[in-house]
Amino acid sequence: MAEVRYIGASRRYAGSSAAALKALDLDIADGEFMVLVGPSGSGKSTALRMLAGLEDVDEGEIRIGDDDVTRWAPRERDIAMVFQNYALYPHLSVADNMAFSLKLSGIGKQERKAKVLEAARLLDLVPYLDRRPKALSGGQRQRVAMGRAIVREPRVFLMDEPLSNLDAKLRVETRANIAALQARLGTTTVYVTHDQTEAMTMGHRVALLNDGELQQVDTPRAIYDRPANVFVAGFIGSPAMNLRWVGRTDGSIRLGGALLPLAPTARSAVRMTKGKEITVGLRPESFAVATPDTLNTQDGPGSLSLRVTLVEHLGADSYVHGTLPGDDTRDKPFVVRVDRRVDPARGETLPLTLTGPVEHVFNADSGRRLT
Amino acid sequence: MFVELAVPATLAGEGRAAVQAARPALARRLLAATPPYLYLLPALACLVLWTYKPLVEAVQLSFYDWNLLPTSPMTYVGLDKYRQVFTQAGLRHAAVNTVIYIVCLLPFSVVLPTAVALVTRRLGGRSRDVYRALVFTPILVAPVAAAAVWRWLLDPTGLSNQALGWFGLAPHNWLREESTALPAILAITAWSMCGFAVLVVSAGLTGISADYGEAAAIDGATGWQILRWVTLPLLRSTLLFLVLMTVLLSGQWTFPLLDSLTQGGPAESSTNVYYLLWELGFRNFDSGLASAAGIVFFVVFGLIAAGLVALADRFSFHDN
Repeated sequence: MAEVRYIGASRRYAGSSAAALKALDLDIADGEFMVLVGPSGSGKSTALRMLAGLEDVDEGEIRIGDDDVTRWAPRERDIAMVFQNYALYPHLSVADNMAFSLKLSGIGKQERKAKVLEAARLLDLVPYLDRRPKALSGGQRQRVAMGRAIVREPRVFLMDEPLSNLDAKLRVETRANIAALQARLGTTTVYVTHDQTEAMTMGHRVALLNDGELQQVDTPRAIYDRPANVFVAGFIGSPAMNLRWVGRTDGSIRLGGALLPLAPTARSAVRMTKGKEITVGLRPESFAVATPDTLNTQDGPGSLSLRVTLVEHLGADSYVHGTLPGDDTRDKPFVVRVDRRVDPARGETLPLTLTGPVEHVFNADSGRRLT
Repeated sequence: MFVELAVPATLAGEGRAAVQAARPALARRLLAATPPYLYLLPALACLVLWTYKPLVEAVQLSFYDWNLLPTSPMTYVGLDKYRQVFTQAGLRHAAVNTVIYIVCLLPFSVVLPTAVALVTRRLGGRSRDVYRALVFTPILVAPVAAAAVWRWLLDPTGLSNQALGWFGLAPHNWLREESTALPAILAITAWSMCGFAVLVVSAGLTGISADYGEAAAIDGATGWQILRWVTLPLLRSTLLFLVLMTVLLSGQWTFPLLDSLTQGGPAESSTNVYYLLWELGFRNFDSGLASAAGIVFFVVFGLIAAGLVALADRFSFHDN
């Protein structure tokens, strides 16, 4: 087990003008479960493959424990990786797949067998040890790939979207299993995904990348509560945070014909900022449907009226898409999450109140968080 | 529990008529079932015309003594021609030569192409294409044209002997000496087939996901270990295919060269079974012996092919 450090690590592919990964600085503590998340092309897989030694590091360095592994071959790094398609050797049985690395490192047959059996027990794979990968289901293959990684007790686990080939139900189950396994083994883990639910539920910390640049590293809760910039705000949270450009005012903002109060920290930050406009972020879950009791006037503080264009029923609750008065046509639909009992029709106007003051305010030019 | 009820008398007649209407006439049903077979027909016709009909006729011919002349009689001789096949010295010699051709071609149709494909895999895009095109070119040269060029090269006054002269060595008549005629044919066949085999192996390598090599590298394998334990086992079906091709087709690959360069000589030293069959049939006009020998070789090669196909099935791995 060891900590992992990226120090100004960059990767530039031949023939491409922009770097795939730009000077990444990231410290991953010993035993930590770090999730690298971002849209496709964000550089998250490149970062992982650089740590694995499968991609060159053009600038900067990568350290595992006390070792500068920047120029080390993959086999010298003492790491294990779970690939997106598992990359199980099709010509070897499950047991041989899991024992392959042990065999290469010269461990005796008896010890190999014992270790494979131990890992197989942990992952419920004992009945399948003699099978070839093609005779396994997707979930079983995924577990064999996990088994192959844990059997050698490496310093670091690397996982490259290991759940993306599973169906939705199995993905939820396996997500929990991997997190539990990591907690039990305590091995430093770097996990790449594009799925924000995986990022939020599995990692001790989440590193969010976009266009090869690190946007924010923090605990899932902190990233959700205090996104560092507009990109993070829009990426984390489902449905995405509603972002709107509004004229700055002192204590509140004017949106969709309504005045919405700013939180005290946001208020002072807005006061300090230059420029005419700011970007505000409103989470879909920070609204409630207004009742005659809560609704003072149509334009009262904290009240909005949403013209409904689409309702998505999800069972426990519904996502209502719509437009606010004065919304630009280029704006994305404004989305709010409401109780399942609220069932507005298309074209109807839904009165809403904000459940708390506006907390997320960003610089309209740089996109950076103001508070 | 079902209780059978009698069909009401008034309905019985109409019911039968309805059933008849629901079942189209036999001709119409046949017509509806025909299209798939129509699609198969051209291929089946070719197969029957060019493969099965000659095969049946060869079997038929092998029981007769006939000199291929339409006016001369065909004499039924039973299994005599087969007895002759197993006792004729020339055929045994040709069979041994065929085995020599196959065994000596294998390094050039399997081992060397694998090495070339593995090395060129590491080259960058354009240089790899150029390199592979160079290796592949010989197969594009028509065998008879290639034979003509090689005849000049191997001539006592040709380039090969001029090169020997630079080292102070006496010229050698490669194609007219018993000791070198077969190796010369072998070398030319190897030169012409190697590129094709490189292409086949390259295609096989392309089909192996890079992830396996990367997974093995992370598992602690060196480049050689990845090749030995991952790449080559996954390439097994391709390599077996090449072995099969060499075993079954080396006789055909060498045939045009034999015919245009040595005619199987000198003193039958470079001949093989295919060339001998042709000689028996179309030079000696012993169609019965040629057919009997052809059938024997057909059975032998068929068994070898079946064995290799079974091996290929057992050793091929497809990750889905």
